[in-house]
Amino acid sequence: MATARGDKNLSLLAFARQHLFVTLFGILIPIALFACFIGYPIGYTIYLSLFEWNGMAPTKTFVGLANYSYMLGDNYFYISLVNNLKWLIVSLGFPVVLGFLIAYAMRARVVYFPTLLRTAIFFPVTMSLVAVGLMFLLILNPIFGAFDTILRALGLGFLVREWFGDFRIAIYTLAFVGGWAFTGLPMIFYFAGLGDVPKETFDAARIEGAGHLRMMLRVALPQLRPVTAVVVMLTLFESLKAFDLIAVMTKGAPFGRTNVLGYLVYLESFWNSRFGYGATISVAILLLSIAIASLLLGKLFRGAFDV
Amino acid sequence: MSEHPASGRRYRSLIRLRTAAPRLFATLLAFLLAAVWIGPLALTVITSIKPNKEFLNGPFALPHAPTLEPYRNVWSGLHFGDLLQNSLLYATTGSALAVALALVPAFTLSRFEPPGKRYIFALLLMGLMLPQQTVLIPLYDMLRWLHLLDTRIGLIIVHGVYGMPSQILILRGFMTTIPREIEKAARIEGATDFQVFVKVILPLSIPGIVVGYTLNFIAIWKEFVFALVFLNSEANFPVTVGMLKLNSDRYISAFNLPSAGLVLSQIPIAILFIFAYRRISGGNFVGSVKG
Repeated sequence: MATARGDKNLSLLAFARQHLFVTLFGILIPIALFACFIGYPIGYTIYLSLFEWNGMAPTKTFVGLANYSYMLGDNYFYISLVNNLKWLIVSLGFPVVLGFLIAYAMRARVVYFPTLLRTAIFFPVTMSLVAVGLMFLLILNPIFGAFDTILRALGLGFLVREWFGDFRIAIYTLAFVGGWAFTGLPMIFYFAGLGDVPKETFDAARIEGAGHLRMMLRVALPQLRPVTAVVVMLTLFESLKAFDLIAVMTKGAPFGRTNVLGYLVYLESFWNSRFGYGATISVAILLLSIAIASLLLGKLFRGAFDV
Repeated sequence: MSEHPASGRRYRSLIRLRTAAPRLFATLLAFLLAAVWIGPLALTVITSIKPNKEFLNGPFALPHAPTLEPYRNVWSGLHFGDLLQNSLLYATTGSALAVALALVPAFTLSRFEPPGKRYIFALLLMGLMLPQQTVLIPLYDMLRWLHLLDTRIGLIIVHGVYGMPSQILILRGFMTTIPREIEKAARIEGATDFQVFVKVILPLSIPGIVVGYTLNFIAIWKEFVFALVFLNSEANFPVTVGMLKLNSDRYISAFNLPSAGLVLSQIPIAILFIFAYRRISGGNFVGSVKG
């Protein structure tokens, strides 16, 4: 009788013979689905990036690497790429750090009524970004918006800006709105992670006279490395995926200054009918995510994803 | 002598104040922070019941004559009933499909050591991280080829398959916490893998399934890109896509209409949130992602 632990060194065939049901429904079918719906699309995207195609015509024109050389000279591509980076920096700074601080404050019982704070910050995680975007369009409205009204009432009227109209600011506005909606996620991850850290570790540090700052940096963070790995990964891909907010709030305006790569793909493909070029930018996104993911998995967080 | 206990008490209360003061300060800070998160939501609800003419009183003026008129207008103007029905359909069936597809793989990865297990995990993580935009064009093409473009069933299939990787990880995480001793008895009596799965693992996994299903439900309810690209007819739109109309001159003029729309779009998920919050925010799904 085969126990699960006994067959660690079986060959594929022997494993399949012993565990037919598991092999078929647990491995082969999901892999087939992956191949159809994820593997094939990736391959097709790479293939399409070598062609010029308007999405409708029966024939695609082979153009070799022309799309790629066009991309490298395309100003909009660079603007979008840099915007993705800005978004990432804001996301790593604001929601992730704040999420950690809140989680720590709640676990260390620094604040009263921790549940209120946790619920308030977690709720937007369940909201659609379309709704979030729409809400902040109203709040940040230059004439009737609540945010500017508050600033003026506090005597901070000089801080009022064209939050969406000023091309230097718009992308940060978007990234902060995204951060507002995202903070609950890192918070919950760190909250759960801190719950797993043995209480004695903190007690020992406290006896040695460690303050909260030292406790966070020297005790909590090192213990939370696997959680940080997951959170950073999530943040990374969240910022690479940034799309919904832009589609709702600015549509890339002013002058394409708030485009990110994901939105550029959509614009080029489905609005400008340049599916080949859209695919080329998709490949760039893909390469970027693979590069960053392997960098993180391989170096920074060795062991964090061990299975 | 009589002063001694009193001063002791005073001393003690001073100490208590000293330890409580930072905590009070931190709590104050936390309240401010909570206001940043609750404020926009509260403001939206308040704005949604203001009549048009009170709009110019400013964003913080409380409504004098609260009205449900904005809700009525948005409900009929956007066909909100249909939008909600579609979103509900996509979320319920899409998550059911994702969970159904994920159950046996999760069982496999939690109980067996198939050759190449590491690569299966790598594949799963890739499926999780893949930016949607990179597969939009091929999926669009594929759905057109299958005549599933702009159909409800097409979108449900896409949601199901793309929900599968995270469901596998969540369910696997849950199944690994089921002690092996429980299935040992069944094994000794000669139960097959299939029987162990159906009779032992599946019933014990129900709490995990509930969590996974809920998370997937929320994810599909929020989803926007796939629905935007793969659907054309308004009759098929989910709330996220249908709501875009609120961002037009016709609706945005007095803020009360888009606010009402916003509230309507969040009601189902807010109800779910109230019921499921303890489960999904307890962090028990976090461990599963850690692998």
